[in-house]
Amino acid sequence: MARSMWRGAIQFGLVTIPVKLYLATEQGGIGFNLLHASCLNRIQMKVYCPYHDEVIPRSETVRGYEWSKGKYVVVTEEDIDSVPLKTMRAIEIEMFINASRDAEGTQFVKQAYYLEPDQIGAKAFYLLKSVLAEQGKSAICKIVLKDREQLAALNPFSKSMLLTTLHWPDEVRAMDELNLPEDQIDIKPSEKKMAEQLVASMTGEFNADDHADDYRQALMAVIERKVAGEKPEPAAARAEPTNITDLMAALEASVAAARSDRKAASAEDKAPTKVATKVATKVATKAKAKARAKAKDDEVEAPRERRRKTA
Amino acid sequence: MQPSEGVAPFDDPRYLFEAWWPGIRAQAWVEGGQLIRLRAEGLADALVAFGELTDELPEQLLDDGVLLDGWLLALDEGGWLDTELLRRRLGGDRSAGRPAYVASDMLWTNGEDWQRRPFSARRERLAATLRDGDRCVVSHALLGEGTLLAEALARFGLGAISARRLDARYRSGSAGEAWLRVPVAPVAQTERPRLALIQRLPFLDEAG
Repeated sequence: MARSMWRGAIQFGLVTIPVKLYLATEQGGIGFNLLHASCLNRIQMKVYCPYHDEVIPRSETVRGYEWSKGKYVVVTEEDIDSVPLKTMRAIEIEMFINASRDAEGTQFVKQAYYLEPDQIGAKAFYLLKSVLAEQGKSAICKIVLKDREQLAALNPFSKSMLLTTLHWPDEVRAMDELNLPEDQIDIKPSEKKMAEQLVASMTGEFNADDHADDYRQALMAVIERKVAGEKPEPAAARAEPTNITDLMAALEASVAAARSDRKAASAEDKAPTKVATKVATKVATKAKAKARAKAKDDEVEAPRERRRKTA
Repeated sequence: MQPSEGVAPFDDPRYLFEAWWPGIRAQAWVEGGQLIRLRAEGLADALVAFGELTDELPEQLLDDGVLLDGWLLALDEGGWLDTELLRRRLGGDRSAGRPAYVASDMLWTNGEDWQRRPFSARRERLAATLRDGDRCVVSHALLGEGTLLAEALARFGLGAISARRLDARYRSGSAGEAWLRVPVAPVAQTERPRLALIQRLPFLDEAG
């Protein structure tokens, strides 16, 4: 498993249980890199100082806190280390709540972490877990992560426990701004019955594996097609590897073909050259689409496709 | 010299048209029979990443004290351009693809600064100085026929052409009208033609 991102101890009453935290989730989106459009190289973000009008290395930066408009005080690592907080290396359990009933405030979650108990604390760890599980309780605690004291909920989960960091109450927005009906909405018994039937028919066991990120898969398919289009299989007919002069020769051939297309078009009926090329590309596309459709059912698609095109 | 963005392919006898190769622009400096610098756009020296060129490029040059302007490319096994291989190579992976240099301009030759001379003269000199080899060539070009080249490139699967004024001298900064990067109008085909297909095109024409 990945490296633990925090180590400390669960504290409640006089009990101390040493644990490690591991990130329970990761971002699943498709990552893009920003490239310069003309050369396709990765761009770089430089740290720029407008006062000195120069790009500076990150090592020359410090943290500043804006205590008044435009006025900063520099906060160093030592300052942060000297903060007198008992949750510095601890998961301080404040209280226990009824997990299913009083959990409204624990809905605003930030990030989930797996807990791994140290050997010496294993017994106390699983004792706590089993009590929480049996009584349907959830522990509300505080922990310092990434320089900030965070509110968190501790819950039994599978073979371990899950620590979920929560938003502080002042970080949760009020619902007053929403346009919600004041009065109770009238619902006919027949309507309610229909809704209940629908819910019953769609009820099942939740299994995360059944749910796929469709957008991500579709985007990946587009990318894969594009990658495949940029990089055709090596031409099997050529015995020797081709080089840059062959590429130039191929370009020349392409120019010659375009030229003879133009000549043919102007000789036939003086039709505009654009029409001629359009027909040519259309034909090529059709043939290709056909070849692709055929190749779909075929294991050995590449050679077949090529034969068809060159025939 | 930085090219301006063109709008659409055009024909003009005052311009020389060539492919805008999908690689990275790079200046190659050869002195004392050695490739001493290979300055790729936006990067430090690409000399190490493109080590194969250090021997080949000077051997193919008939002159010394030469500064070339062109494109660094990486080809896959089929001889096709591959930007991913190029990226890996620029990142230091020397096994990625086969490197190539396509020269399109000559700024210095014989230890002499040619930047004030017209592009036509520089280009003529370039063609006379650099012999085509396995890895380094002079970019093939068409005089005046921009739309024809655009059609050919569209079949070829490349997205832009370079249009340079023959009477323009080399200057630093923006090139204005002296050098344009003109996008090839997109064609109906979404997939790029295969190299095998391109090479058969002349035969198709003979048959028809």
